[in-house]
Parts: sequence; C-alpha cells; structure tokens
Amino acid sequence: LSFHCVCCLRVQFLIFSQDLFLQVPTTSAAGNKFYPTSTMSIGGYMQLVCCPSHPDADLIEDHRAGDQICSECGLVVGDRVIDVGSEWRTFSNEKANSDPSRVGSAENPLFNGSDLSTLVGPAVSASGASAHPSTTAGGGNAADMIKYQNRRALSNSDRTLLNAFREIGGMADKINLGQAITDRANYLFKQVHDGRSLKGRSNDAIASASLYIACRQEGVPRTFKEICAVSRISKKEIGRCFKLILRALETSVELITTGDFMSRFCANLNLPNTVMKAATCIAKKAVETDIVPGRSPISVAAAAIYMASQASECKKSQKEIGDVAGVAEVTIRQSYKLLYQKARELFPEGFHFVTPIEQLPQFKSMTWSPVCCFMHSHSLCTYPYCRHLNTATLLAFSNN
Amino acid sequence: FLIEADVNMSSSSSSSSSAPPVPPAAAFPLKESAASASILVPQVQATTFVHHSGIIPTFQNVVSTLNVCCKLDLKEIAMKARNAEYNPQRFAAVIMRIRDPKTTALIFGSGKIVVTGAKNENLSRLAARKYARIIQKLNFPAVFSEFRIQNMVASVDVKFPIRLEGLAYEHEEYASYEPELFPGLIYRMISPRVVLLIFVSGKVVITGAKKREDTFTAFENIFPVLCDFRKEI
Repeated sequence: LSFHCVCCLRVQFLIFSQDLFLQVPTTSAAGNKFYPTSTMSIGGYMQLVCCPSHPDADLIEDHRAGDQICSECGLVVGDRVIDVGSEWRTFSNEKANSDPSRVGSAENPLFNGSDLSTLVGPAVSASGASAHPSTTAGGGNAADMIKYQNRRALSNSDRTLLNAFREIGGMADKINLGQAITDRANYLFKQVHDGRSLKGRSNDAIASASLYIACRQEGVPRTFKEICAVSRISKKEIGRCFKLILRALETSVELITTGDFMSRFCANLNLPNTVMKAATCIAKKAVETDIVPGRSPISVAAAAIYMASQASECKKSQKEIGDVAGVAEVTIRQSYKLLYQKARELFPEGFHFVTPIEQLPQFKSMTWSPVCCFMHSHSLCTYPYCRHLNTATLLAFSNN
Repeated sequence: FLIEADVNMSSSSSSSSSAPPVPPAAAFPLKESAASASILVPQVQATTFVHHSGIIPTFQNVVSTLNVCCKLDLKEIAMKARNAEYNPQRFAAVIMRIRDPKTTALIFGSGKIVVTGAKNENLSRLAARKYARIIQKLNFPAVFSEFRIQNMVASVDVKFPIRLEGLAYEHEEYASYEPELFPGLIYRMISPRVVLLIFVSGKVVITGAKKREDTFTAFENIFPVLCDFRKEI
C-alpha cells in the first residue's frame, strides 16, 4: 500500500485484493466459483480432499452435518460426505457367516463406476430367517429369484471390468502372485479399457498382457511362456497386446535380466542355494563380458543353471531345465556351448566343484569335421561376427 | 553422366556429418570420396542424396499396388494364364509369378493388383506393366492406372556389433527391445516414418518407406546413434 511507484501501483492493488479473498472463509464449498475444492491425486490412485489454501492441514469431520472442515482456516471442504461406517451394531453370537452389521460388500471405488444399484439376493437361511411377511417360507426363494431377474442388466459397462478382474485374479492365483501385482494389473486393465484404443482386442488377451506388465513393473517379471501357461491366449497375441498397451499408456518397462528368473527356476528345480548363486554369477558375467550376444536372457539363464548344476552334485538334465524355463533343449545347448568356452572365468571364486570344468559335458557336433576358420582359428568358428563361418561350414558339409 | 563433380565440394560434404543433404551440382559425390568403399552403381536416377555415413542401404523388396480398372474373372485367369495359382478357399486372389523381373502378383477380383518381390522402384513398375499386359492379353479391358509404391524394404550392414540394451534405454520412446519376442530391436522413427530392425551383429533392416530418400534419410539419422552404441570388443 505504501508503494509510490506509478508503474507498480496497479500490481500492489491486485495483490492486496487477492489477499483479502484468501482470508475470508466461505460456508459452502460446492459450487463456489472463487475457489473450488481442490482434490489431489497421489500417484493417480487416490483422491484426497484438502483445503486449497492449507493442503497439509488436517480435516475435522463433523458427522452430524456431513462436513469436513479445515482445522486452520475453518473452510468447509467436503460437503455431504457419505458415512461409510457400519449401518447398525449387532451383539450376536460368535460365528455368523455374514456380518449383519454390513449391508453389501465393500465398494471398489477405484475401479467401478459408482455402483449404487440394488441387488436382491436369495433369502437368508432358515436359522436366521428373515422371510418377507408377504411370501410363504418355501416358495419365497423361487419367487424372489424370478421377480428380481433384472439383476443381470444393472451393471453394464462394469461387467467387462468385473469379468476381467476375475480373470486376472484367477490367473494370478494359479502362479501365486501377490495382491499388489493383481491390483496393479487391474488398474492397468482399467486404464486400457477407459482409453478405448485396444477396443477390438479380446479382453482375455488384454488381461493377460496387463498381468505380464504388472509383474514386470513390480520387479518380478514372468516370462511370456509362464503367462501363456495360465491363460488361453497364445504367446503371439499376448506379445502383440503387450506392445499395444505400452504404446497406449505411454509407459515403458525395464529390460529383463538373467537374475530376475534365477531364484524361481532354481527353486522349481530344487537346486540348493550354492548352485543358484553360482548360476546367477555365471549368467551375470556372461552378459557383462558379452560372450552370448543376441541370446535371450532366459536362454542364457537356463544355460547357466545347466552349467552350475552339472558342476555340482545335483545334476539336472537339459530337458528338465528346458521344461521349467520354457526353453528348448537345443537352445540351452547352443548357449551352453558359448558359455563353456569361457567357463573358467564365469564360475564364482570359492565354488566347490564336484565335477571339474574339464569334465563338464561338451557338445561337439559329430556331423561336422573341424574346419579351421582362418580368421579366428577356432575349430568351429563360433565368433558371431565372423563372416567366414558360412564358407567354413559349407566346406565341411560338402566334404562329408 | 556424373562427372563434372566438384571435388572440393564433394569431399567437404562427405566429411561433414551433421549438414542436411544439400543437393549439389554433382550427382554422385560418393564416386569421388575416397573414404567409402563404394559398392554397386546405384540405379540411374536423378538422386542427389549425400550418404554421409559412407554406406548405402541396398533394397531387397518393393511392394506396389496397381488398379486395372475392370472387374476380373479369377477362374478364367487361373485357367488361361501360366504360372497362376488360385485357391479360393484359402485366399480370394490369383497368385501369379513372372520370371523377369522376378516378382509375384496378387490379383483380386475387383481389378486391384499387389506386386511384390521387385528389387527397386523401376523394376516394380516394369513388372506391374507386365502384369497389366498379361491381363490385357486375356481379353480384359485392362488399364495401367494408379500405380503406387507402398513399401520399400532395404538392408544394410554397419559392420560393427551394437549394444541393443543401451540403445533401448536411451531411446525408449522409439525403441522396443524384447528379446523374448524378437531378437532385434524395433526402432520406430517418427520422421521419416519408417521402422528399423536393428540386430546385435550390426545388420539393420529398414522398412516402411514409400520413397527411396526416406530410407536413406532414416539410415543417415540412425547411423550416428549406432556408432554411439558400438560394442568395444
């Protein structure tokens, strides 16, 4: 107010009037055009009501009037808040199947639209009979069921969501995934469903793909084949939906590493901890020193497990490892051949060799005679960037 | 045809790596530049594209469509023409092949034809004309119209291995690398709108381009990126 500068006088005036507004609390928050109630979204999951001028202040609930009042300035922030406490109290016996203090199941506000429809269920059992006074006890159930058939038609757009959530929950249950992953998958499905960009795709495919993405995002990736095992959708379709969802939601996922799968594969094969640690070390060093370029991390992990288990007392065959990891035997053999050449550097220090490295299985192809590749002087050139491999093997083949 | 090339201009243009392709007076600066191992003579066209990287992608396949503007009786074509197969239960078009240029055509009943397998645009156009001629000879009022190149696939080898994980991490909005699904990295470039498949060995496949320059521009755009993610052996 004490500014005398001509150019700034107007500015000063504006600040002052805004200040005045802020300090005057209003009694009705809804439909207030000066400052609408602000809701914050934290991580896109929850919406918290808070006072616009004091976001950190606690809100006092006035149950009688259904208000939420800011404790700092007295502004009424929430209006006509619905009380979600129980409807009445019961002091009955211990184990009633249904808790009569609650009417209906807990609402799922994050996922479904406001599901305020009424559903009529079958009449309660005879012990806690609460038959309608107008109907007879025996025929009451049938009549009620027929009368209230319109139950199905009530939740329309939510029906797909509910089906999908049930599907995701079922799949997650089969591979023992935690609730966090299921919730995240549900949320992804809802986002995709709302976005409508993948509308033509089968819902089961989208559900499977969103479960796959949820596992990846939580840091416990599952291979596509593992998801295929619990879903009726083909790997190709799940892969397609996966790429489409990532583009639709504009998210990305971390690249898979060999270590993500070690503990699970080794546990499924009942391998001891030492072998698992050795396999993890082998795979990690193999990828770091890049002796397996272009190989899928799953194949490298499987080959590492094979090498580690063959060097210890509990030897697993390629078939068993292939079954658990979803990798073909031939693929394990190919990656193993690459790992075997540098086996000495790959094993961790202090690893107890039941079978020493020299006696580990080697897979020399019987049908090819060793032709020396003159560029890299390997007997069967496996250096992947050697352009001369083809001519060398062709020569060997024609010789045979 | 070329020669009046201004040697100074071409050598300076090939050394600069960030200048946009400015069409110089000379047609083929590559011929003069000593650095590049020049490969084949490119097709005779008035292209003035400057390949700063020194490597030219080679085209493997050109897909084009054409309309002969008359309804066709596929059974008749299948019976009368040589090298035509028609299995309506499997696919609703006649599959015809000619030897030179070595191409395959899908001929639909509506009169539209898809020509695949040509090695460059001129051969594709030539093949399309040949197919239209065949249809004409079979007594249909065929017309060669609406010839359009839909897709050009090229491959190129940068001759050094590439770190795909690093590239995927750096360019995650454009690159998709899923070793479980496909061993190569799928790079979707926005401008020009092409898709590049980049492999660990250094081989790159460029597809989705409708014009030759799009392919070349795409490769020139990606080449410095690939050099950044070169693997040191």
